[in-house]
Amino acid sequence: MKRKKLFSKTGLVLVASAFLFASGCSSSDVNGSNDSNGSNNSADEEVVVDVFQSKVEFKDEFDELVEKYEEENPNVTINFKAVGGGTDYAQALKSVFSSNDEPDIFSVGGPAEVEQYRTYLADLSDTDSAKAALKGTLDGVTDGEEVLGLPYNQEGYGLLYNKALFEQAGINPDEIITHEDLEKAVTKLDSQKEDLNIDAVFALAAKETWVIGMHLANTYLAPEFNNNAITAYNADTVTFEKGDEMKRFLDLQAKYSVQPVLSLDYSQQVEELFSLQRVAMIKQGNWVYNAIHEMDPEFAENNVGIMPMPVEGYEQSIPVGVPSYWGVNKQSDEKVVQAAKDFLDYLNTSEVGKETILNDFNFIPAYEGYDTSKIVDPISKGIYDYASEGKTIGWTFSGYPTGWSVNNLAVHMQEYLAGEKTWDEVVEDSIEDWEEARQE
Amino acid sequence: MKNRDLAFWLFLTPVLLGLGLVVIVPLIYGTIYSFTDWNGLTANKFIGFDHYIKLLQDEGFLNSIWFTIKFSVVTVFLLNFFGLALALLVTRKLKSSNLLRTVFFMPNLIGGLILGFIWQFIFVSVFDDAGKLLGIEGLQGWLSTTTTGFWGLVILTVWQMAGYIMIIYIAYLQNIPTELIESSKIDGANSFQRFKSITFPLVAPAFTVSMFLTLSTSFKMYDQNLSLTGGGPFESTQMVAMNIVKTAFGANEMAYGQAKAVIFFIIVAVISLTQVYYNKKREVDM
Repeated sequence: MKRKKLFSKTGLVLVASAFLFASGCSSSDVNGSNDSNGSNNSADEEVVVDVFQSKVEFKDEFDELVEKYEEENPNVTINFKAVGGGTDYAQALKSVFSSNDEPDIFSVGGPAEVEQYRTYLADLSDTDSAKAALKGTLDGVTDGEEVLGLPYNQEGYGLLYNKALFEQAGINPDEIITHEDLEKAVTKLDSQKEDLNIDAVFALAAKETWVIGMHLANTYLAPEFNNNAITAYNADTVTFEKGDEMKRFLDLQAKYSVQPVLSLDYSQQVEELFSLQRVAMIKQGNWVYNAIHEMDPEFAENNVGIMPMPVEGYEQSIPVGVPSYWGVNKQSDEKVVQAAKDFLDYLNTSEVGKETILNDFNFIPAYEGYDTSKIVDPISKGIYDYASEGKTIGWTFSGYPTGWSVNNLAVHMQEYLAGEKTWDEVVEDSIEDWEEARQE
Repeated sequence: MKNRDLAFWLFLTPVLLGLGLVVIVPLIYGTIYSFTDWNGLTANKFIGFDHYIKLLQDEGFLNSIWFTIKFSVVTVFLLNFFGLALALLVTRKLKSSNLLRTVFFMPNLIGGLILGFIWQFIFVSVFDDAGKLLGIEGLQGWLSTTTTGFWGLVILTVWQMAGYIMIIYIAYLQNIPTELIESSKIDGANSFQRFKSITFPLVAPAFTVSMFLTLSTSFKMYDQNLSLTGGGPFESTQMVAMNIVKTAFGANEMAYGQAKAVIFFIIVAVISLTQVYYNKKREVDM
């Protein structure tokens, strides 16, 4: 018996020591790299900047830009890693931070994430990019004097419509201003469904919680937060001031949509129904352009228009916002922080960077000094026009309690669409969820 | 059992190490974290049983547990039924039995996520078109209601796993001594009697294995759930695993999600162990 016990202890010790050994290795690695960054102070020392960001779509283009930058600045090496698309960036970022493998440049989504990574985010107000950023694009990341992030780009959404179908039905989209106008246009389209050869007027992708909970709802919630994500972030409650307008806009889409809306997803909505011209309108944004272009380039380039959703007091305005921001890790070495800032300025304000952002990334720029006539895609162009005229509604969902828009509000809206809840219950329950989340 | 000398433990070390690092340590850490306000980056203070009290009143979580239980009961029954039926079919002396085995096993080789998307297309588009063509209302609007979402998941899981369960049953069916069957034939037993009194008791060990496998997989299912229904409509087809992921990573309540995971672990462990214990008792020794 004694022997047994002794050996079982040996086993445990073996396990434990191996574990210690493994963890010891990893931590010494981290120290090692930090030391090498800080030890020599000569002017042309090697600086390594690790970038960890959330858009896989433009990885190749980004690599090209990095190469050009490294040629111009031979002492800087930029390691670029993109996580996104199918994988959850927020989750991946959290794990690299908790494993002490902290990146020097990373993406943050808005006030809630800024708060989470507050101790890591450097003040970027002294960068050229921050000075060139368009009005309003820094709202979500400004804390007093400090600017904690730099916008990637702008995005916007509205009602995308099929120009040819509108013409055929004899509807002028410019005349659609109020909800009543929209309703008239919709019924007119609906009555000509056979002639226009469409399945329905709308395709409402109510299966996608972000489509209804984030974007649709934001159009009618943003005004009560003064279109500012920070205001939303500090709000203890939400009142649904424009709840009735939200309801009738949702009702209108649901009624005239391809059915059943609750199993209709994003790819059906955009690729199958809108791109193949089986519906006349969808509520979506500039990000659908590539998908439509892949299905039918001709249609994407010439036949897609964007018009605002009807919001009282905000007629002819488009919700425009910044989906994510570049953040710089201030706990990195000072030299690295400076190099990171320089690189971001190069990306956002140099001629090469501007070219890349406009032509390769197909971004709607969030900075001054871009030749916007080069924007090729008509949806982005339309959104940029509204934005430059100041006809915008803010994006406030990044300031909501984490997950509230998709896990609470959107779910209640789905229940409403399924007839399980009345609209009043949707509003009540969503308010309750918001307040509960804020108390924690 | 007496040979537990140094060599014994040395041989065991790699396994123990692996098990310890990827199972035991995370389990202990996770349990500790569930008592704190851990947010994925830092844990500031111990809050005791607050999360566990909260989850007892969490309607979403309780609904997902109830849904998972209903789902597991139905799939465990159907999987074993179809698994055994297929096994009986392909152990008959058919020319095509090898081909059939391959075909039935095939779905199991496709990843759960992909399967979910394939079946989503079938349910949403193919069923819908077929329904319109034949005028059957029941085939239209699949996955847009809770009931169709539920049966969609069941069909998908049974289709995917029945082949795997079949293989287990085949192994046991082939081990049944032919003399037993022969002597029962001589005694004049018909095929139903033979199945009831000889085949069935002798494949009982296979039930233990298959019930355990099907029960734990259907309880822990995540990827098929994610890609087929995504929990929708209105989170009514959300299983426990998905509820946990959404709490932890969607709402960023890491510690709370962890508390749910601990409860989930306990439920799965208790059910599986009881079930193995009872089935073991019923097995027949040769």
